[in-house]
Amino acid sequence: MRSQRTSLIAIFVILIFLLGVALINSNSLGDFGITLLSGLFQGMLLFLVAAGMSIVFGLMDVLNMAQGSYFMVGAYVAFDVQHTGGLIDLTNIIPDPNFRFVVAVLAAVLVGAAFGYVLERFLLRSLYSRPIFQLVLTFGVSLVALELVKFIWTTTPYSWTELFGVRESFFELFGQRFSTYRLFVVGMGIALIVAIGLLLQRSRIGIIIRAGVEDREMVQALGIHVRSVFTLVFTLGCAIAAFGGAVAAPFLGASTTLGSGFLLQAIAVVVLGGMGSYAGTAVGSVLVGLAIAVAQDTAIGTSFAALPSITPMLLLVLVLLVRPSGLFGNSR
Amino acid sequence: MIQKQNSPIQRGWLRRNALPLLLFAFLVLFPFIVGAITDSSPYGVVRGDRMIMRGESVRWQSVLIEAYILIILAMSYNLLFGFTGVISFGHALFFGTSGYVLGLMLEYTAIDTTLALFVGAALGIVLCGVLALVIGFVTLRLKGVYFAIFTLAVAEMFYIFFSRWQLTRAEDGFAITELPAWLDPSQSRINFYYLSLAAVILTFVFIRRLVNSPSGAVFKAIRENEDRAQSMGYNTLNYKLLSIMFAGMLAGVAGLLQVILNKKVGPELLGVSYTVDPLLMTIIGGIGTFTGPVIGAGGLHFLDVFLRDAQINLGGVVIDIANIWALLLGVIFILAVIVFPFGIVGTWQRWQARRHRHPEKPLPDAAAGQD
Amino acid sequence: MTPILEVRDIHTFIGQFHILEGVSATVHTGGITVLLGRNGAGKTTTLRSIMGLTPPTRGSILLDGTPIHGKQAHTIAQMGVGYVPEHRAIFRSLTVLENLRLAERKKGDFAHQADFIFELFPDLKRLIELPGGNLSGGQQQMLAVARALVPENRLLLIDEPSEGLAPVIIEQLIAAIQRLSGQVSVLLVEQNFRVASKLGQNYVIIDSGHSALDGRMADLVKDQALIQRYLGVA
Repeated sequence: MRSQRTSLIAIFVILIFLLGVALINSNSLGDFGITLLSGLFQGMLLFLVAAGMSIVFGLMDVLNMAQGSYFMVGAYVAFDVQHTGGLIDLTNIIPDPNFRFVVAVLAAVLVGAAFGYVLERFLLRSLYSRPIFQLVLTFGVSLVALELVKFIWTTTPYSWTELFGVRESFFELFGQRFSTYRLFVVGMGIALIVAIGLLLQRSRIGIIIRAGVEDREMVQALGIHVRSVFTLVFTLGCAIAAFGGAVAAPFLGASTTLGSGFLLQAIAVVVLGGMGSYAGTAVGSVLVGLAIAVAQDTAIGTSFAALPSITPMLLLVLVLLVRPSGLFGNSR
Repeated sequence: MIQKQNSPIQRGWLRRNALPLLLFAFLVLFPFIVGAITDSSPYGVVRGDRMIMRGESVRWQSVLIEAYILIILAMSYNLLFGFTGVISFGHALFFGTSGYVLGLMLEYTAIDTTLALFVGAALGIVLCGVLALVIGFVTLRLKGVYFAIFTLAVAEMFYIFFSRWQLTRAEDGFAITELPAWLDPSQSRINFYYLSLAAVILTFVFIRRLVNSPSGAVFKAIRENEDRAQSMGYNTLNYKLLSIMFAGMLAGVAGLLQVILNKKVGPELLGVSYTVDPLLMTIIGGIGTFTGPVIGAGGLHFLDVFLRDAQINLGGVVIDIANIWALLLGVIFILAVIVFPFGIVGTWQRWQARRHRHPEKPLPDAAAGQD
Repeated sequence: MTPILEVRDIHTFIGQFHILEGVSATVHTGGITVLLGRNGAGKTTTLRSIMGLTPPTRGSILLDGTPIHGKQAHTIAQMGVGYVPEHRAIFRSLTVLENLRLAERKKGDFAHQADFIFELFPDLKRLIELPGGNLSGGQQQMLAVARALVPENRLLLIDEPSEGLAPVIIEQLIAAIQRLSGQVSVLLVEQNFRVASKLGQNYVIIDSGHSALDGRMADLVKDQALIQRYLGVA
């Protein structure tokens, strides 16, 4: 109980610090709001990558180094489906861009799930007796994914040009224009955090997952086929990451740097929150997202433009130095 | 007396090591052999009072130097991953750090070039060792995955930092203009060739001695089962630190050679490919074997060189190998991890061991029953 | 009548270590058979081998005449084998209710058995919403046994239930195991010979990976020399 209180205090202190810096940096309440929203937006995207990573690590002891790649692939698939040209051109079949975006996101989720299933079922499964090679394998898969994306879509980054309703609209508050789409993504992220949380707490599969994080063998000895739960969880985790890439694409576009960028940020989240802890992942995502947004604000106009990109790594290094078990976790 | 006792042993040693010795002789004579075949000078072409590096011999020297650098890098990776069971996803960190240190010493200080070279090299290697120790000290007490993550994060941090740092000309990097003439690969490449060859051989011998020493036995015990090594009374943390320190320093040596060969320092030295390459080369060659990384790194580098300009024709669609080389490597990597985990050398050793065990066991009944 | 469990000459390796070098044991339907032996003799490994957690490389295991060796643990569990491991391996972050629910093999298993479970362990009813980690050692052990009673099992494998518990709690557990053995056959590993002799009708002794002796508990209790030789207790 005492450690839970210290982690709450730690979260509180970090949050106050980040908000304080954001407040100092901003000229108006509107500015502050923008920083906050962009931090939350970034945090929700991070959560979508980190959630699967954390649960998979807790349950299967596999750190999926390819998780960022699923995010990247999701962004590319969504981009491809939404725009004219590319592999799949739906502009004639589905002229309504809003509806096409829904289809694009669904396509990304399906592709993510399919690749996740293949990776777990056909590649990782043969390596459960050699854990170090699982890590190496997922690392290799991330390289192949990157090269495949380069091969199919070339290395030139795409930026989103297709207009659709929510993407373009915004509202005004404190004299600043806020993007409705970002708010929508933040809302959806929060809804997903709650939904996955409820799934873990209330459903039978959730109980199995939490039990499996503690003691896989005993779950098996109760007559539950843990391997099929592995496949399900892994597939779901990859699908969620691809979903994240798809909903981020209208803002971030699609580029080959998304994979490694989000991988490192998600690792920072997972380590900060505590490997395998779901609550930790949710809290960690928000904190890292805010930290990146604050760093972006701080770096504007200074010569140290690398700050926002280095922030997640700095956080990761700091957490490992100070408290390797993270906010809610166990590092051994 | 001593002479008489020694000579048969020496003769036996010669016979046992005939292959490596022949290879060594070949590599020493290599610039001259290529020179003789292609009728080019191994020293380059004289142009006024300078040497111009033109001709097949000097070209092939640099191909071999590139291979030597990758071999050193792969061997250092193998010391860590193959012999100690510690996995790093940021080996490029050491490669690039020593490269930057040397570059900064040569280009950004006013001291005498030769002195700067030696100080820079020494400082670079020492810094790699210190960096490795610090990273190891922070993460090696935790689960193995933390070391992998931490090295990845630090390497990425250095990469981003150096690709934005204006002093080192950010993404472009900077050229090395001041090198002592006797080492400069664009004036006396053959000297640099022999230096690199010496570095490979010394690294090979060093790793072999280290792994065959009592400390090396503990490395391998850690790889097999760290808890058991601990319960045998070894402070496994210290041994892991030792292994990662040497691995970091040797990767630093490779980085130094790379910087001198290309006469350029840039953030690509810290890029992910100098982590992926040694990992891939070690796995394909055979992890935890002495010659595996040599064969893996040398083989892949030569494949790369030969296939760089090749094309394949897939039902009318012509694809340049260069465009899909990384993809091919990735696929080979995954296949190797799953179906070929012992690599070339490991598989061969296993096969040999099985073949040699059979004649020793005269089990006619069992043999008849089996085949 | 076929015995509920027949273990025939199984060999099990853990890593490179040959832990079981030929263990045979028979558990007759109904009642309790106790697996005895010194520390490190291979008792726990025998239970784990039966359960499929450390699969034997040789030998056979028959459950009610059906071979189960080589099957995966979850399949063996589904065939009606309940496992209560040593060190009270309950799920600490799950509530008592969730621990029990997790063991259901079909919907309604728990509801069906709830009365019997709470009759055996009335404490658990009171603690039903608490996380398993907040329970005392004795309560955790009761939960672990109760969990094995949720689905319809034919055989329970119970490993060292009395380890580290206070005498009063041990008495409670003995009573409970005695009662449940009226419904399901039990193979029990027990270091505490007093507890073992009170509970068991039959015994099997293993000695450094081999099965050494088996028979009726009543006969063993009389033979001090045997007890001294194999178990080191008087």
